[in-house]
Amino acid sequence: MRSPAWLRALGLCALALGAGSARAQEPIRIGWLSSLTGPLSSAAIAENQGVQFAVDEINRAGGIDGRRLELLTRDTAGEPTKAVNLAQQLLFSDKVQFIIGPVNSGESLATVPVVARANIPNIVIGTIDELIDPKKYPLAFRAINTNRQWIEGGNAYALDVLKRRKVAVIGDTSGYGTSSAKTAAALLEQAGVKPVYSVLVDANKTDLTDEMTKARASGADVVMPWTAATGLMARILNTRGNMGWDVPVVGHPAVMALPIRELLNKPEYWQNAFSAGYQSTTYVDGKLPPRTQALIDALKPALGGKIDFTFWWVALGYDTVKIIEHAVRTAGSTDPQKFKAVLESTRDFPGVYASYAWSPQDHNGFPDRNIVVDVANTFRDGCYDAAPR
Amino acid sequence: MAARAPRLGLALLVALALASLPYWSGDLYRLHLVSLIGAYWVLVAGLNLVVGFTGQLSIGHVGLLAVGAYGFAILAGTLGLPPLLALPLCGVLGGAAGLLLGLPSLRLPGFYFAMATMAFALIVTELSLAWGGLTGGGTGLSVPGFPAPFDTPSGQYWLILAVAAAVTALTWNVARLMWGRALVAVRDSEVAAASVGVNVFRVKLTVFVFSGVTAGLGGALFAALQTYITPDTFVFDIGLFFFVCIIIGGRGTILGPLIGTAALTALPELVAPLARLGTFFYGLALLVVVLLVPEGIGRLVAVLVARVSGEPHRSHEVRPDLARLRQALAPPDGTAADAAPAAPAPLAAQALR
Amino acid sequence: MLAVIVSGLAIGAVYAATALAYNVMYSTSKVLSVTTGHLCMLGGVFGAWFIAGLGLPAGLGLLGAVLVGAAFGGITEVVGVRRVLARSDEHLWLLSTLALATMLQQAVGLWWGTEPKPFPRLIPQDFSAGLLDQKYWLPILTVLAMTAGLEAFYRLTLWGKLFQATSEDAFAARARGIPTDRVRSASYLLAGALGGLAGFAAGQLTFAFFALGLTLTLNGFIALAVGGLGSNLGALVGGAGLGLLSAFATYWFGGEYQQTIAVGLLMLVLLVRPEGLLGARRVRPV
Repeated sequence: MRSPAWLRALGLCALALGAGSARAQEPIRIGWLSSLTGPLSSAAIAENQGVQFAVDEINRAGGIDGRRLELLTRDTAGEPTKAVNLAQQLLFSDKVQFIIGPVNSGESLATVPVVARANIPNIVIGTIDELIDPKKYPLAFRAINTNRQWIEGGNAYALDVLKRRKVAVIGDTSGYGTSSAKTAAALLEQAGVKPVYSVLVDANKTDLTDEMTKARASGADVVMPWTAATGLMARILNTRGNMGWDVPVVGHPAVMALPIRELLNKPEYWQNAFSAGYQSTTYVDGKLPPRTQALIDALKPALGGKIDFTFWWVALGYDTVKIIEHAVRTAGSTDPQKFKAVLESTRDFPGVYASYAWSPQDHNGFPDRNIVVDVANTFRDGCYDAAPR
Repeated sequence: MAARAPRLGLALLVALALASLPYWSGDLYRLHLVSLIGAYWVLVAGLNLVVGFTGQLSIGHVGLLAVGAYGFAILAGTLGLPPLLALPLCGVLGGAAGLLLGLPSLRLPGFYFAMATMAFALIVTELSLAWGGLTGGGTGLSVPGFPAPFDTPSGQYWLILAVAAAVTALTWNVARLMWGRALVAVRDSEVAAASVGVNVFRVKLTVFVFSGVTAGLGGALFAALQTYITPDTFVFDIGLFFFVCIIIGGRGTILGPLIGTAALTALPELVAPLARLGTFFYGLALLVVVLLVPEGIGRLVAVLVARVSGEPHRSHEVRPDLARLRQALAPPDGTAADAAPAAPAPLAAQALR
Repeated sequence: MLAVIVSGLAIGAVYAATALAYNVMYSTSKVLSVTTGHLCMLGGVFGAWFIAGLGLPAGLGLLGAVLVGAAFGGITEVVGVRRVLARSDEHLWLLSTLALATMLQQAVGLWWGTEPKPFPRLIPQDFSAGLLDQKYWLPILTVLAMTAGLEAFYRLTLWGKLFQATSEDAFAARARGIPTDRVRSASYLLAGALGGLAGFAAGQLTFAFFALGLTLTLNGFIALAVGGLGSNLGALVGGAGLGLLSAFATYWFGGEYQQTIAVGLLMLVLLVRPEGLLGARRVRPV
């Protein structure tokens, strides 16, 4: 049993002990590119909670080998141009040793090459497949799952568990949506299923009657939306409900984000909706994995006693800092090449969000087995119930 | 004449400082920022002739920037042309797009034209999403860099500096020669310009196509600097930003918009609270300038400098002799006198009414 | 097919309402304000905030939305138009209203958020009403009532006649003792109120969305230019035409070319009939 007060007392002691040695050495500077404002801010805000908490926790415990962590957070507002400028600022003006982020795939596509050229390790938290390439970007390591893993999880559920064969794929026109819809269609065809309807819509489009009517007319028996925009997701559910169309929705985790609840015309429109989720944030017999539960217990008081956002974002943010800590502790320095060597030989590093393993050939650290499918409307403390098998 | 030597010296000094920037900026981020200002300026210099000299309010030049940027990414990336050949081709592409946009819309009156350019920017975004095979759709395209010796940040900076200098020299000449006078005449009164033999439409179209060429070049340089472009890169706000740079810097000058571009690019980067306000800050700056100094800050500075150095103020504009005009037409009420210092032309119009 | 027509007419009604607001302001000041679409946006956002956020009854929410719209119409006149018109530079009003529109849009974006948020239900009705849903017919009825009301106002009331006199020849009107400045102020308040009303009525269709203003400024203007600047009937025709065209374009070609097709329509009409379908021929300015 970890009580927060106990933890805080320990932190204070550690701070007092660590202060002497920490002052003696240079801090470790971590740049955090986070779209804290703008269209996809909800993920960034939650991830920021985790990043901030991990940095504070490590510093309270005396830093890494006596070196404090200094977090430099930069708000990209979700704009690629701004993200590139801020990445340059962090790399060359602030001279950070590590970069976490950015949050959105569109921004990451622009910044990852810039960070790679500066020879600075980059913890990538965008899901688009193109972001990771050990040859082009040798110092970029992914903590989050790939898009393919999400989609494979969703597809497997729709085809094998729900036994559906006529799939309607909906993506949005953003970089993320376009790439996901393409990947989804390709993976479905590998499984021998050609989508009966496929469309890209603007994430801010308000009336989806046309698209959903066409999907229904094409005979679809499952709707698979791949978009990170919760508003669009809610409108897909609303249109389905308003049409009185009883078709399962299986898709991107945005379908289970809490803001959806406020956006639905009726609460029951959230039924019969499933999404790719994580073992780490899924209840089994009403219980979460111990590491997740511990982080929830530690964070809850700071968040006013309740968690009202998807918790895997927090866990992911927390893990990005812990991965850096792991690498620096093992290597005994912040040298980029040593960082690379350590991560490439890491097997089963236990994080909260997942257990990671990287290799020289594969810089995607997230293992397939950690993906599960959840029921969308079962939000409790940012975690969900597993979908019936 | 005596004033010319120090001015030449100053210009040389500035040129030297700019050329040697990579050696003393001491920071690649600052160099990136200056390179970005340079790429923007290549576009703004051409747009300045359209907005500042012919008075056509184009708020959608970001569309032409996107044409240049995508052109470069496709020509040099997908098709594998040498980047240094792709760069001028992007200028041609931008010019062609400018012609396509200018031909129908330049015949329209002011507000119609502004809306047409805005619609053009939206259409380019729409097409860059729709033509996924060519542009990568929402996923975007990665952009190749320039070959040696322009493959380092400093090299890239020098290339941008060279293009920016060439474009600046071109617009400078246009503004000073007969052409510039024709442009200003078109801005101040199309009817009057037409009556003294200026082919208004052709003047406007030529200048607009030229601005398309510089926008294409600027777009190519911008894309190479960004290394990756998506439709999200070319939001409408950037078009507004170019426009605000010119209005704030001062219409009808070259130096004003240059200072405007540099200041408006650098300020939000250096002052964090401004970055959060983002486009709101551009709107506010535009409003303040329009209401208080419609000639722009550049003009205000020029007038102040001239006053301090005791030199009579020289300008490319043809302006009425205000003092005499004011005397001759003693204001019937107070309002004309209030407006006089800031806005010379309207005074005449009002007094004559 | 009927669904396409109904949804096209509904969104066309919003374009038409924006075009009407353009007309009201244009008639007294000869200014086409960039803030016109933002008046509607304010109606939607503040309506949603008053009702869903503050929990006010729908009637009070409507009143509040109309007042906020009118207030911003007034601000446009005082800040963006009045001072600038005195300078008689034909482009300055475009710059000042553009600046105001940008500031408003960004401020609303920062405060309200950049996602479209749903607008509360105004009349109890089940969501499965399909084509009879209030989100379609509320904006259509509102814009019809607005047009009829405006025509009645212009023809039957003294203030309406003052508006018309100012619209036809401001100098002559002033010479006859009409306080044209006050008429102009009143027209901006009226346009703001109309915009707020239209945005409120269309809220369930458009959602409360900060970037709606710019879209409406453009599409409302296209409706206006197609229908004929200055004609209220033209605004209705232009709005309905544009709405239907967009809806059918989306139905046949998908949503990808919507803006391209709308602007194509504008260019076509302007080339064939520069004064618009129902507009009066303009005299060349000398």
